[in-house]
Amino acid sequence: MNRLIGMVVLIGAVVAGLVGLSAAFYLAAGGLAWVFAEYLGAPPSFGAAIANVVTLMLVVMMISGSLLTVAERKWSAMMQNRIGANRIKVLGSALGGIPFLAADALKMLTKESAPPRGRTRVLYEMAPALAFAPVFALFAIIPLGPPIPLGAIVDSAAGALGSAGVALQVASPDAGLLYIFAISSLAVYGTSLAGWASNNKLALLGGVRASSQMISYEVSLGLSLVGTMLAYRTLRLEEMVTAQGLAVLGPVPALGILLQPVGFLIFFASAFAETKRAPFDLPEGESEIVGYFVEYSGMKFGLMFLAEFVEIVVLSAIITAVFLGGWHPIVVSTEWLRQTVTPLWFGAICGGAFLAKMIVLMWLQLTIRWLLPRFRFDQIQKLCWKILLPAAIANIFITAGALLLDPSMQLLAWIGVATIVIIGAITAAVGRAPAPGEHDHAAAHAVAGH
Amino acid sequence: MTEKKGLGEVQTAAPGEELRLRPGESELDAFMPSRRMTVNLGPSHPAMHGVTRAVVELDGEIIREMKLDIGFLHRGFEKSCENVTWTQCFPYTDRLNYVSSIMNNVGFALAVEKLCKLDVPERAKYLRVITSELHRICDHLTLVGAMGMELGAMTVFLYAVEARDIIWDRLAELCGARLTSNYARVGGVARDAPEGWVEKTGKTLDRVKGYVDEIDGLLSRNRIFIDRTRGTGVVPREDAIELGFTGPCLRASGEPFDLRKAAPYLVYDRVDFDIPVGTNGDNFDRYQMRMEEMRQADRIIRQCFTQMEPGEIAVQDFRYVLPPKPLVYGTIEGLMAHFKIIMEGIQVPAGEAYSYTEAANGELGFYVVSDGGGRPYKLGLRAPGWPMLAALPFMTKDSLLSDLIPTFDSINMIGGEVEQ
Repeated sequence: MNRLIGMVVLIGAVVAGLVGLSAAFYLAAGGLAWVFAEYLGAPPSFGAAIANVVTLMLVVMMISGSLLTVAERKWSAMMQNRIGANRIKVLGSALGGIPFLAADALKMLTKESAPPRGRTRVLYEMAPALAFAPVFALFAIIPLGPPIPLGAIVDSAAGALGSAGVALQVASPDAGLLYIFAISSLAVYGTSLAGWASNNKLALLGGVRASSQMISYEVSLGLSLVGTMLAYRTLRLEEMVTAQGLAVLGPVPALGILLQPVGFLIFFASAFAETKRAPFDLPEGESEIVGYFVEYSGMKFGLMFLAEFVEIVVLSAIITAVFLGGWHPIVVSTEWLRQTVTPLWFGAICGGAFLAKMIVLMWLQLTIRWLLPRFRFDQIQKLCWKILLPAAIANIFITAGALLLDPSMQLLAWIGVATIVIIGAITAAVGRAPAPGEHDHAAAHAVAGH
Repeated sequence: MTEKKGLGEVQTAAPGEELRLRPGESELDAFMPSRRMTVNLGPSHPAMHGVTRAVVELDGEIIREMKLDIGFLHRGFEKSCENVTWTQCFPYTDRLNYVSSIMNNVGFALAVEKLCKLDVPERAKYLRVITSELHRICDHLTLVGAMGMELGAMTVFLYAVEARDIIWDRLAELCGARLTSNYARVGGVARDAPEGWVEKTGKTLDRVKGYVDEIDGLLSRNRIFIDRTRGTGVVPREDAIELGFTGPCLRASGEPFDLRKAAPYLVYDRVDFDIPVGTNGDNFDRYQMRMEEMRQADRIIRQCFTQMEPGEIAVQDFRYVLPPKPLVYGTIEGLMAHFKIIMEGIQVPAGEAYSYTEAANGELGFYVVSDGGGRPYKLGLRAPGWPMLAALPFMTKDSLLSDLIPTFDSINMIGGEVEQ
């Protein structure tokens, strides 16, 4: 009971912290927007974007990316009956392993860089940056919080300036999801060039594996989201999030996961393959080919390592925005919330909801990574081309047909509900643990020998 | 056009001959000569347990040829034994299969006792079987854990290691060491089980069973694991016999041969247990053999606990066994016996003997020759892991590089024993 109460309190504290964090982000964005508009005469969106780059991309993404390294250690330790990183103590307390963040960074930065002979110098030096930069840039279009009027943040902003919207989103290009596909497909260059330029056969194998895997999964990755584009009739993420707040079946909102359960599963699997983590960690495959970054040391390796974790953050953010209702706090009605609290707190609570959903998804990814073995190379291609891709294409046609028959998305929602029920039933039937007697000695039959 | 060279060199095409088109052949259909890549896995490579070097010749990711290079752990076990007394050989045997050291102790003790025509007391037999089976569980846990880990399921490995650890705790209570447990002696065992050890071990086995079931739940029905192991590294029954397989690897291929049933030694004819037999001889079957044998070992140990009675743990013949300390310090006969065993070693009658035991990986054979002195005249070892390791190039030929990993794991190559 104490444990339960403790967990509830902890979760509450985390959510409250996230809400507070979002409020701070809104204040920063609004403040800078007002400063820019007032003193420089620039449009307020300019200042907000600059503030968002710092707060969202540097603070949220980098910090959660590096905290994930500690979280992975701690969570895997919990799964494996271990204690996990606790040797660095600050004033006698291990602080949940968080000081390891500093220790790891220090270690990476001060380690000797031992570049291999015969490397292709330019590509070798460029690869870590090429692996990291696209992932980093992906976060720019994630709508972390809804637009709220500038006047609600900065009191002295009035008139047209006061009603200008400030959102927790760095950029909102028309291309939206296409931007994600375009940029995420650049990430393959970093890994394959790292393998190619290292002048190492194992690294080369890793690079080749990475390029074939990532290019294959790009196809199903792209096709899996076409259904959502059709349903919400937009490519912009913030419009998708807004559309997900509308009720579709009675009070149930039109969440992406409800309308597109198959699309969600395909996207999750494909995006997981793009992050190159277990069970899709063939390019690394440390017990087979050691990995495409085998020749990298120090912070160059650190950058590739960090890119992997940042990919987790970005993947969680995209799934939250496209499939889990984005910043809509699903537990309470968004409209009711908008009318009840002040606009600043409305934005902050919505931003907190987004971050909370992201944390759950990151946790899910860590769990999967520590639970499953690695695929084989041909199996991973089979999964992509023979299962995910046909399923994605079928999903597009079914979605398009349902929308053609019933543009109000209700039919699509019913199809989604049916799919979820069917998938759940199949999982329950197949995943059932065998009865004790059934397999106790299934493999054994007594043989007296010769 | 292409000329085949030895391992370590690539298949080359003469310059200018890369794309010679036959009449009527378009460029897309033309045969593109590819070059094989020779990759050196090991001696320090995550998948090569201990230190083994595998030189594989890859065509894409397909292993076309493979050469194994062992000897990085060679210690000259057989020769070293000729320089020490029979009793002093025991610590050397610990280091053969260091994951199941007491099994090696027992095998060696049985060989010497065959020469001496000794029959050890009942309790010693039971204790030998109990410790051997405990170590069989350890060995299989190591294999299953390592297999999981190298296929990417790290969690399985830590569960297995934790289960192994609590068994080691019990063995440490028995013989003082955790890894190189040294328990059997010529004529019996080193110490009796301490008070309450039997009950404690029963509880430990319950916990181990829990871990084994958990590993079973994580792997045995795991789609990815089954895909990775089913149909890879297949050794058909005839081939397995031809290649000299023994133990779980042979049984996985469908040959029901287990020395504990075929030629029972110690008390294996008095306990009731089953021998799991596979059908396909692939990695998954070899894994299943291990899982089931752990459960059967559990059964054997529990039966031994109920059958075991208090009594002597070593023969009371001071030509072979050290006399108790009061006799050494109190009587001249005791002192002399102690002095003779320590300084000259046990005087083993001249002759030769071969002992065969079912170790965790298969038949463990000790061939000993005595010239009647206190030291072995010659000693030969049949390491159970060696035939399986030698068959690795056969098992992995024309399979993917990734298949090498579960195959190498499922034969459970232990550097200490195959490199002696």
